[in-house]
Amino acid sequence: MRNPRSERAGYLFILPWFLGLLIFTLGPMLFSLVLSFSKWDIITGIGSIEFVGLDNFKAIFHDELFYQSLKVTFIFALVSVPLYQVVSILIALLLNMRTRGMKIFRMIYFMPSVIPAVAVSMMWIMIFNPEYGILNRALEWFGIDGPAWLQDPSYALGALIVMGIWGVGNTIIIYLSGLQGVPDELYEAAQLDGAGPIRRFMSVTVPMISPTIFFNLIMGIIGGFQYFTQAFVMTNGGPLNSTLFYNLYLYNKAFVSYEMGYASALSWILFAIIMIFTLIVIRSSSMWVYYNGDDERD
Amino acid sequence: MHTIHHKWSLARIITLLLLITGAAIVLVPLLWTVSTSLKSPAEVFQESFIPKVWHWDNYKNAVTAVPFFLFLKNTLLILIPVMIGTVFSSALCGYGFARFKFRGKKFLFLVLLATMMLPGQVTMIPMFIMFKEVGWVDTFLPLIIPAFFGGGAFNIFLIRQFMRGIPKDLDEAAFMDGASRWSIFTRIMLPLSKPPLIAVSIFTFMGVWNDFQGPLIYLNTNTKYTLALGLSMFKGLYNVEWNMLMAATVLIMLPAIIVFFFLQKYFIEGISLSSAMKG
Repeated sequence: MRNPRSERAGYLFILPWFLGLLIFTLGPMLFSLVLSFSKWDIITGIGSIEFVGLDNFKAIFHDELFYQSLKVTFIFALVSVPLYQVVSILIALLLNMRTRGMKIFRMIYFMPSVIPAVAVSMMWIMIFNPEYGILNRALEWFGIDGPAWLQDPSYALGALIVMGIWGVGNTIIIYLSGLQGVPDELYEAAQLDGAGPIRRFMSVTVPMISPTIFFNLIMGIIGGFQYFTQAFVMTNGGPLNSTLFYNLYLYNKAFVSYEMGYASALSWILFAIIMIFTLIVIRSSSMWVYYNGDDERD
Repeated sequence: MHTIHHKWSLARIITLLLLITGAAIVLVPLLWTVSTSLKSPAEVFQESFIPKVWHWDNYKNAVTAVPFFLFLKNTLLILIPVMIGTVFSSALCGYGFARFKFRGKKFLFLVLLATMMLPGQVTMIPMFIMFKEVGWVDTFLPLIIPAFFGGGAFNIFLIRQFMRGIPKDLDEAAFMDGASRWSIFTRIMLPLSKPPLIAVSIFTFMGVWNDFQGPLIYLNTNTKYTLALGLSMFKGLYNVEWNMLMAATVLIMLPAIIVFFFLQKYFIEGISLSSAMKG
């Protein structure tokens, strides 16, 4: 029913979003782009913005902390994103079995993902405490002398990755709903063909949930590069910058030392990195993501 | 037949054992937090899991050591308008994208999807400057107002997907009967779209309750802090007492867990819907 009145009504309904797009997305993006080529400490008024061309970017590529934060973020993303997917899929498989009481298990596993990050951080600061935290006490039972975790530069990042596993409930839910969409007949057919459980998993389950894996990989990458609260609350980048996540460094530059131009340049580099990774996943997806034939929608 | 049955029950036992181990890993930290919140300061450092004497007064002390109720009020003053704004404006826009034909719609919808990929860091700095220029820094406005402008691309998407599934005959018949588009929206589409609207409400609640970086950037005066920000301030207090810190931690966790407990059906549906983005 395309007619002028209907068109106008359509525009009116999406108007809030469109205005928001201009005011809170496109406008700021443009401003941010200008800022990334300028020097400005925000304390003096907007008139004192000084255009410096590529200086920020040049400085960034000589900035040790930039490389450090990039390293931290890359390690985190490269380890945690695949790790969380594997753990989530395994747990989702367990939760997908038909047993009584499964509802309670599902609830327990999902619960951590609704707890505010600040509260989770507080909790884990205690857990990681080298002297009286339960983690090292539990390790003691196995005769392991636990490290100082958050206070040890070689363990702090690992500690945050470990902590993340505890909160994968969100991802588990998504995989579980993916698993529930796999028709039983496919498993039955595979079983009749003599496929064992591992074979069934590899040739039925994985292809059938590959769109879900694809979605979670992208969300995981985006989330990994934006990691902030836990690092800010638990370690504030330390010890020795071993948990200086990119987003934390960006925050420090913008809101601690007020180098708005420099920080804007950092944010565009972050954007570019996320885009590149996302594109790699999207491009590669045609090789491993399997869609049913019926996904033709407009 | 017998062996298959046997194998199946063995698998079942292993599954159950794994599930129980995992559940313990999830629950022990939580229970330990609760137990610490009830201990005396001296007992915090001991190995006991169950406190000898249950110090409920830790909770009383925790809410007075930091102005807990003030932080709660601040959080609600942000939360309530944000929920109204988000649900209302994402429903409007979701309806617009679901049911109308207009020039450039496909392109605009692509733009909407693309903005979901945009990291918040890119707009964070210019938005801060913008809000500073209009004098809104250190007020709740920067945390509230944007919610009224579309309510977030993801929420619009969620509602649009759902509304497209509602039979078209329903609203077309009402339209033929002379109902206005506005009353079709409020009387037909909104009541039928309860599941995604509830999901959006829950996500919004969780988002605001969780939000840390937003309040951290915009709120400077500590009487304006939200709970999440206030809790982190608690840690910074000299001479932090773990039992009180854990009591405060439990208090900020509890509402999120309660909401999840009662509305988990919608919560889980919403998350599952979110992954239905393929295609």
